Amino acid sequence: MEIILVKFKKTIKKLLKSESTAHPGVTKIGDTKPLKTRLHENIQFIKENLGNSSDLIIREIRISKKNNIKLAIFYTDGLADTQSLNNFVLEPLMLEMRKMEFDQDIYSNPNVALQLMKDEVLTVSGITDVVDFDTLLTTILEGDIVILMDGSAWGLKVGMRGWEDRGVQEPSAQTVIRGPKEGFSESIRTNTALIRRRIKDPNLWLETKQIGERTKTDVALMFIKGIVNDKVLDEVHKRLDRINIDGILESGYIEELIQDETYTPFPTVYNTERPDAIAAGLLEGRIAILVDGTPFVLLVPALFGQFLQSSEDYYQRWDISNLIRLLRYIALAISLLGPSLYIAVTTFHQEMLPTPLLISLAAQREGVPFPAFVEALLMEVTFEILREAGVRMPRAIGQAVSIVGALVIGQAAVEAGIVSAAMVIVVAITAISSFVIPSFNMAISIRILRFGLMGFAASFGLLGVTLGLIAILLHMSSLRSFGVPYMSPFGPFNPSDQKDMIFRVPIGKMLTRPHLISQKNETRGQNEPASKPERE
Amino acid sequence: MIERGKINDNQFRVLVILFIFGPAVLLETSLLAAAAKQDAWISAVVGVGIGLLIVWLYTKIGSKFPERNLFEKLEYVFGKWIGKIVSLLFFFFFFQLAAHILRNIGDFVTVHIMPETPIHFVEIIFLCIVIMGVRLGLEPIARTGEILFPWVIFFFFIMIVSLPPEFKIENIKPVFEGGIKPILKGSTTVIAFPFMESILFLMIYPYVNKIKEANKAFFTGALIGGGVLILISVYTILVLGADFTARNVYPSYALAKKINIADFFQRIEAIVAGMWFISIFYKLTICFYASTVGLAQILNLKEYRSLTLPLGMIMVVLSIIISPSMAEFMSYLPKYEFPFNLTFGLFFPLLFLVVAKIRKKTGKEPMNQTKGDGL
Repeated sequence: MEIILVKFKKTIKKLLKSESTAHPGVTKIGDTKPLKTRLHENIQFIKENLGNSSDLIIREIRISKKNNIKLAIFYTDGLADTQSLNNFVLEPLMLEMRKMEFDQDIYSNPNVALQLMKDEVLTVSGITDVVDFDTLLTTILEGDIVILMDGSAWGLKVGMRGWEDRGVQEPSAQTVIRGPKEGFSESIRTNTALIRRRIKDPNLWLETKQIGERTKTDVALMFIKGIVNDKVLDEVHKRLDRINIDGILESGYIEELIQDETYTPFPTVYNTERPDAIAAGLLEGRIAILVDGTPFVLLVPALFGQFLQSSEDYYQRWDISNLIRLLRYIALAISLLGPSLYIAVTTFHQEMLPTPLLISLAAQREGVPFPAFVEALLMEVTFEILREAGVRMPRAIGQAVSIVGALVIGQAAVEAGIVSAAMVIVVAITAISSFVIPSFNMAISIRILRFGLMGFAASFGLLGVTLGLIAILLHMSSLRSFGVPYMSPFGPFNPSDQKDMIFRVPIGKMLTRPHLISQKNETRGQNEPASKPERE
Repeated sequence: MIERGKINDNQFRVLVILFIFGPAVLLETSLLAAAAKQDAWISAVVGVGIGLLIVWLYTKIGSKFPERNLFEKLEYVFGKWIGKIVSLLFFFFFFQLAAHILRNIGDFVTVHIMPETPIHFVEIIFLCIVIMGVRLGLEPIARTGEILFPWVIFFFFIMIVSLPPEFKIENIKPVFEGGIKPILKGSTTVIAFPFMESILFLMIYPYVNKIKEANKAFFTGALIGGGVLILISVYTILVLGADFTARNVYPSYALAKKINIADFFQRIEAIVAGMWFISIFYKLTICFYASTVGLAQILNLKEYRSLTLPLGMIMVVLSIIISPSMAEFMSYLPKYEFPFNLTFGLFFPLLFLVVAKIRKKTGKEPMNQTKGDGL
């Protein structure tokens, strides 16, 4: 019996071993093998591990005529800045170093030579040591270059990233009439710089993590120490550290992985392309999460009211922006309730309409074969298809689609007797209203809920609509964004935070930060009312 | 403890106002006018006055052993078994109250809004939302109340400012025609109907983050709710007259139909309906919440959410069989409701205070404090 057991154990051990040696060339993630002394062994290893990829460039040079000391420079073509490499690495090593005079004979000991190169020869700023293959491979793949020398078991990592990127351009979503026109780009460094340029406070801290086992995406947290709520910050850290995924390709991945509630139509994380919006959020005590490779930066905690604000609200005079904000809330209501109110009133509560209007509506609907609900559903779905087509299709054929769309959704549908003219108006105003909501993901949630409410309206009239609204409100009140109630400052009512919600008071009067978001709710400044010049 | 959320005093006040306000506004004035004729408004004032005294009694009970809710208090003071039996009685009280309210909704909707829809469907869809709210817990319920409350006030305000042109001052004359007796008789319905029912707020009491503020909020909430009630009864008498009010089941709905400003601003009774829906939704939710939490406590369950669906199903059936018709219900209200509510609204609370005094129970025995930020 025991013999069998022992045998069994042995076979299991063998199996385990064979599994770990199944692919000798492939490094496992988290494997830290020290570098070897011999250069050709190192080169061999790197080539094998990167699968002889053709974009891996290995430049071997000799730094001295007398001694045969070889040196290899590794970098990925397209990620490293070749121009700088030539000027600040190759030139010093191959030309200037030979002319230089050193205190000791550097060529006898490769370690000394490497140290001297780091200290005296290379005219670049970011140099660190590399001792293991894991870091080395990551370094190469990140776009930096690595210098290894024959005879020493460590190398130099030289910061020399430089690749093509889009540069700072005007954001495509969330456009403003007045306000800065620059938007984030795909490079995380550019993005942090854009934020730093707006807030030159030493308390603006930046913490970087690498998330994604394979993509090793840089994710940066930015916040202003002293304003940020430490509890929220801890929570963000905890949630980011909990992420275990192979790849992060866009900040949407992070958003879905850290949000409070997955099964909700409402976004609980704010995203924007605008550096000024992020800066404003940081000043209120929020935390920005930047992800490399996307211009969309996340901002938490995000409350419902925030999705209806645009940064332009603060750049226009306060009376104008108040009017526009009010307009936005009205648009929100129309885009959520438009079709369902129409269905409810025309199907169940005809008595609510003035008689002349009722007669005219009834006359229009005379030839329409469908009930109002089917009619509305038909038109709404058509419109959603048109909208999606407008986003997805190649630019060149846009014109054609919009003409066809206008015909389908407008005149022709009415003339064919499929829908009534009033329905077209309702759908059109609903659609336009949904574009007024500044945040795209909130607009989408409203679109989803609109269909649900249409169903309620078709089956229970205004009663159904009211109940649907109460249900939505209950759901929204139960949401939290990183511990902060989603509907605050309406939900837990806070009089002091009303100054920047539906209405915005003049900036000079906006003296405190949002109550639940910032840590101490400290004052923002003390503004005296602008003094008028004295008259003579 | 069974509820982990905490609400603040403002939210508590809003809940109390909506509770007092709700069905009372729609139904009460009819009962008042039936009893006291054109003196209904005096009756309302007297009723609200006595009602506030009763609420004051409840705040006294509430601040005794403040970290326990009503059922826990009962068990603590009366001992385990007697306490459980009394709690069970209270549970039935709350539950039948909830069923009555559900029936009110069903009746109102099938009479006034959707006459062709069967009452069961109306009740089921309404109850679905209530169950959803109760399952989400006290915090979302209270927050939603805070969001909806300004709307209720807004609708109420519209009604209040647009009706004075319809006033007929002769409607309230002669004052004191029938003497003091009918007035007192009318006031009993007010005392019983919203105020004695408000004992179920003692179920929510320990979840308010500051107990002193809770006392104040309870009282001011009842005061505001009572004020609205008085105002509505004055308005209905002034606009509709005592006779029409008494014969109408929903006088304030009829009241809203009267609004007509420049032949343009009219037929806005849907606004009253909306206001009423919100407040009755709250009354039902609070009753249902108190019943489920209470039953879960009686049964020593760890959480109450599993009870919501079965209790909801029972409630729909109960609400159908609880009274054969609206007329039956309207005759039940003035006759039997006062003595019935007196048992739970006055007898047991007084008994509780007396027994607590005799057994010299103090609130010192510590219980685990719940954690929550009161948001």
